[in-house]
Amino acid sequence: MTRSTFGRPLEIAIVGAGLLGRLLAWRLLRQGHRVSLFEAGSFDQPRSAAHTAAAMISPLSEVVSSEPLVYHLGMASLALWPQWLSELNSDLPSPVQYGNSGSIVVAHAQDAAELQQFKYDLQTRLQHDDNSRWLDQRELADYEPDLAHFPQALYLPGEAHVDNRHLLGCLLNQIGKLGGHCVDNTPVIFTNGELDLLGNFNYVVDCRGMGSKENHPGLRGVRGEVMWVETGEVRLQHAVRLMHPRYKLYVVPKPQQRFIIGATEIESEDRSPISLQSTLELASALYTINPALAEARVIETDTNLRPAYADNLPRITVNGSCISINGLYRHGYLLAPVMVDHLAQFLDQGSRGHFWNNLVHHHSEADRASVAPISR
Amino acid sequence: MADELTIYGERFDSRFLLGTALYPSPQVMLESIAASGSQIVTLGLRRQSPNSKGGESFWQAIRDTGCKLLPNTAGCKSVKEAITTAEMSRELFETDWLKLEVIGDDYNLQPDPFSLLEASRELIQRGFKVLPYCTDDLVLCQRLLDVGCQVLMPWGAPIGTGQGLLNKVNLTTLRKRLPKIPLIIDAGIGSPSQACEAMEMGFDAVLLNTAVAKAQNPPAMASAFAGAINAGRQAFTAGLMLKRQTASPSTPTIGQPFWQQNASRD
Repeated sequence: MTRSTFGRPLEIAIVGAGLLGRLLAWRLLRQGHRVSLFEAGSFDQPRSAAHTAAAMISPLSEVVSSEPLVYHLGMASLALWPQWLSELNSDLPSPVQYGNSGSIVVAHAQDAAELQQFKYDLQTRLQHDDNSRWLDQRELADYEPDLAHFPQALYLPGEAHVDNRHLLGCLLNQIGKLGGHCVDNTPVIFTNGELDLLGNFNYVVDCRGMGSKENHPGLRGVRGEVMWVETGEVRLQHAVRLMHPRYKLYVVPKPQQRFIIGATEIESEDRSPISLQSTLELASALYTINPALAEARVIETDTNLRPAYADNLPRITVNGSCISINGLYRHGYLLAPVMVDHLAQFLDQGSRGHFWNNLVHHHSEADRASVAPISR
Repeated sequence: MADELTIYGERFDSRFLLGTALYPSPQVMLESIAASGSQIVTLGLRRQSPNSKGGESFWQAIRDTGCKLLPNTAGCKSVKEAITTAEMSRELFETDWLKLEVIGDDYNLQPDPFSLLEASRELIQRGFKVLPYCTDDLVLCQRLLDVGCQVLMPWGAPIGTGQGLLNKVNLTTLRKRLPKIPLIIDAGIGSPSQACEAMEMGFDAVLLNTAVAKAQNPPAMASAFAGAINAGRQAFTAGLMLKRQTASPSTPTIGQPFWQQNASRD
């Protein structure tokens, strides 16, 4: 088969059906390419970090503890999400909910200094791009009546959150409807060897996250723990961040009166269930946001690993016809659209998008890999 | 003669001990360690769940710096918890050095002096080289020495506050009463001037983390602290002048008539 013939449909294998794999498959199918999506686990029991995540798109909040590149990529994604979701939702009976009315940052009395520092860091790093502003108690009561007991809050306009679990399901359905070939329970082994093992594919894109650790010696997993609760007692419209000296704690409203609270950040590749200590920390943080949450029902706890390189920045690694996207770390939903958009444009037209040079790393010998899809 | 810091028989050129938590990425942490010139780095074991070598890549990156590893028992609240964590870290990091932290108060992370003393006694019997994170209380410090600690790490201010040296009276007393004991100011240092001040007061070293890790540019801040700590140490060894009430001219006044001196004072 001819490779890199722009204008003709390409045959592309995507390995790993997390957020990146699904988004990329969907985009490429919409561009008219032929896509096979392989997943090591089961579509019914997803184990990807995207399934665990709270799915905030919050470039402002993240700039305080990230490289400036994460902010710029995040702003680009923030522009893409509504566009892509409206394309997706037009084909869906039940649309994916997307809240983009900004997020709210609060702190308890003992952590008030953390909130001041947060605002200071935003100003220092963003300068005139810092559009965050203080809300006094009365304004806060207008934005979020159930947070009115906080004396003040910081408002971050434009930040968003998405109903990720519904999104992941809808993407898979659409991939199927657009003729994508979805195969689960099928691990793909990447071994050292000749690239002609690529077989019938023009390109193979590795979106396995932590699943590709063996091919990426610099990749590490950062443990995160989250908790899901359900209650009708408290309503929130915005994602709420709670200042904490150690974690980036947040509560994100989800459909059906559910909330996700997370997330711890532990330098460990331990995927065992949430610890009692983390449970206490997350639960007490939630409780202090509004005491009525004490009666919420804990419906799920989850643990997963964020795939990250040493600089905590995302990478597209190009190795001939074998391409990987990885290292999205804490920023899956914040970065996935811009990463996928860059790669899809590159595959489709050979074009190198605005951030291409920031994202692309060329493979080292250690990363050299070819692929052999199993049991096709 | 080289001005070295000696702790449990080991010698170090640097008097700056750096923590490894809270950096925006492991890479920034490594750049900060390099910029600090530190030869001893602390690591928190408890929050990393090392069983099954889970955080191996993170640990390996710190090991590869070549720095002496000083595992800590951060977050431990009881003697038993501290001892368990200590044993785990000895096995994992293959060092008997330990920064012993037993927290007595969640609000300001203040050391619990009673549990600290008990844990120190037990851990020293088990062969650990204990560097206790303690308050600036003289009697506590003496008791810690009695049970076998050879170095003390009194706080400047509560962890992460950046308040500097809050109780200089107590700290000065410690320095005067324990002149031969290595004293490392641990916690509460927010700015290089505060670190410099501690060194000018004759403390042997400074341990900090947040002020570097949370800076807008951590490696640059690490370098700033390294300079300040060095300056403070040099000033201390060079001998600081005493403060006095009246002015005294630094230009020699030989040849100036007495009445002019008197006139200038009137």
